Parts: sequence; C-alpha cells; structure tokens
Amino acid sequence: MATSKRVESASTFLLHHYPYRETSLIIDVFSREHGRHSLVARGARRPRAALRGLLLAFQPLLLSWFGNNELKTLHSAEWQGGVPQLTGRALMCGFYLNELLIKLLPREDPHPEIFDAYEKAIKALARGASSELEPTLRCFELALLAGLGYAPTLQLDSTGKPIEASRSYCFVPEQGAHAEIRIETGVTIAGQSLLDMAVGDYRSPLTLQQSKLLMRSLLTQLLGDAPLYTRRLLQDLQSL
Amino acid sequence: MKTPTTLEALIQALRCLPGVGPKSAQRMAYHLLQRDQAGAGHLASALVDALTRIRHCNRCNTFTELEVCELCANPARDHRTLCVVETPADLLMMEQTLAYGGLYFVLMGRLSPLDGIGPREIHLDRLLNRAQDGMIEEVILATNFTVEGEATAHYIAESLRSLGIRSSRIARGLPVGGELENVDSGTLAQAMVERRAL
Repeated sequence: MATSKRVESASTFLLHHYPYRETSLIIDVFSREHGRHSLVARGARRPRAALRGLLLAFQPLLLSWFGNNELKTLHSAEWQGGVPQLTGRALMCGFYLNELLIKLLPREDPHPEIFDAYEKAIKALARGASSELEPTLRCFELALLAGLGYAPTLQLDSTGKPIEASRSYCFVPEQGAHAEIRIETGVTIAGQSLLDMAVGDYRSPLTLQQSKLLMRSLLTQLLGDAPLYTRRLLQDLQSL
Repeated sequence: MKTPTTLEALIQALRCLPGVGPKSAQRMAYHLLQRDQAGAGHLASALVDALTRIRHCNRCNTFTELEVCELCANPARDHRTLCVVETPADLLMMEQTLAYGGLYFVLMGRLSPLDGIGPREIHLDRLLNRAQDGMIEEVILATNFTVEGEATAHYIAESLRSLGIRSSRIARGLPVGGELENVDSGTLAQAMVERRAL
C-alpha cells in the first residue's frame, strides 16, 4: 500500500501490553519521534516466538511499524540493549513511570524531551541504588509536567518575586507559591526545597519529603479522580 | 429469518471462550445442534459437573475435587519447601521436570500494577497464611519471567521477609542445550548481567 504510513527503526520503549486473539499482543509503546502508539505484534505470544525475549518493558528498542489506523502493525523489533532489566523496588518505580505516561501522555503526540527524561530515569533505576530511586521519580515527574506544558514555577513566587530560601511558602496548583497567605488546597513547602527542586538537587531529606508532597498534589490536579494503582502498590510495599 | 432467542443465547454464551468471536460461536452452536446433539448434552453435563464439583485446594489453591488435593496430602512430599507458581499449568510443567519434591501454591494470577491488579485482587494473604504453617522453611518463587511475574515475586519476597520466612527465586538464563548463536538478545544480555562466579 503506497499510502500506508511506515515508520522504520524508531527509538522506542514499551509501556504496556495486552493479549490479543490467541497468539498476538497489543503493545502500547512510547517512541521518541512519534509519541505513544498502539501496535499489534502478530504471533508474539507463540511459545517459541522470537519477539518474546525482545518486547520487554524498560528496555530500549528499535521498532518498525506500518498502518493507517489508530492501531498499527508491528513490522520488526530490534534489541538496543545497554540497560539491565529492572528488579525489586526499581521495577515497581518503573511501573509507576509507565502508569504516569499511559494516563497523562496523549496518543500520537511526539514529546522527545519527555522521552529523553524517561530514558534517563530508566537508566538511573537500572543502576539500582535505592537512594537514587526517589530523586529519579521526582526529576521525571517534573520533566513530564514541563513537557506537557504544566511546569510549576519554582524560582518565583505568585507575585513574581524571587523565592527566598529561608522562607516558608504555600504552593497552590495553577497559581504557584504564595508567600503570606495560607490556602487549604496548597502544600506548605520551604523556599529552599523549591530552589533545590528547580536545579534537581534532592540531597536534603527535607527537600525529598516536601517535593514528594508537592508533586503528588500537582499530579492529582492533572489525573483527576483516576487512582494511581502503582502508587498504592508502592505504599503497600512500604508498609510491610 | 430471525434467529430464535435460545439459539441467540447459546451463541452469546459460547463467545465467553477465549479466541471465539461471533462467527466461530455461531459455527459451534450450529454444529452442536445439527450434527452432534449427544456431544452437546455431554458438554452441558460435563460443564455442570465441573462447576459443582471442582474447587480450590485448601492448602495449595489449585483445582481439585477434594478438600485438600492429592499432592498436598501426599506424605512422601517434602513439607518444608513451597513452590509458588502462577497457574495450574505451571504446576504441571514443574511436576514433569521431576526435579522438585516439595509442595506448591498456585496464585491463579499475577500482580499487574498497570491493570490495577494488586495484592488484594489475587488474594496474596492466603499464600502468606499458608507459608506460616510452621513447617515451611523455604518458599521458592517460580512466577514467570515477565515484568509482571518479577513484580509478583518481589512483592511476595518482601512480604515473606517481613514475616521472617526465607524465599528464593528460580534462576534464568540460556536454555539447556542452548547455543549462544541462536538465543535472543534479551536472554543473553540478562545472562551476562546475572552471571555467577565459579
């Protein structure tokens, strides 16, 4: 078919997969240049399918596909490698990143900057240092919000004055950091934490704790009532 | 000509089978009614029988007609190890290897965080209760090597650790008799990451 749109060897991560018919899979992929797409991987569930060891989440892949409809057909998959498979808590955090992308990223809308942030986050998770997990999640959440056009202003308060490290602020989604007023829907956060977040420095325990609450409130704003399953799972794990 | 409602209901009912769409369901319904009425009766009674008699084993959760399945009741099995698998088919496969003489627990599913299937949905508490019978010394996690299977294994291992029960994970790598030349990149890459000292 001459009109059929064909994509060759696109840098891609697999986000999720669903069984389709007897032996096929529908995969939800996030590609750097083409955004999120759903592809049919024919025969990928056959017992000895070569695709089985390839179509893995959290692995950089080069995928080629074609098709005119919303659901495209996977043509070939190539291993890019270099990232060990995620295990343990890092794996759970990986699921969290994927859930955020699936719920927040519109389809067929390229976001190379979010892709790069995702790739960086997955590589950091794969290195597996447990102290790196939380900062990795926060950096990715900020990059995702920025990519989607909802970046919070972290260096200026709601009146446009620079944030002072020693002051305490009340951060209200869509409004920013208020210096004086206390608003119920806001998150109380230290000026230093906001400045640390702006430069991606999460070494202070206070910054780590406050940024988590702030990001949760900002994400809730976008997600609405849809619950984050992976967050509940991470909380369950924490409480064991 | 309008299809009779009972026939319509039969076609609808057959569609609950995996891989059966409207066309195949219609073909099956006509086959049963036209060519194989005895077979249809047999199928109906076998279904009713299975639904009323088959239940989950109290100890390992697999399908059985008894309170406790034969495998769990067998005194010759090693009652100190418990192997956790996802499905009864996995249990059968493991039995065919003849490599394992302990007991099993069948999860009847796996955690799938992105589909909202969490520890509550697959009743992990039953496994944790089972592992605390005082006899079990080691729980072997033989869930699949998919990301979901790995997540399930991690979650169970963490839960068991908090209860002070030892757990282990089956190994992965090249297939027995496998040649590097023919193995897929993912498996080979992971085999390199998980290499062991000799």
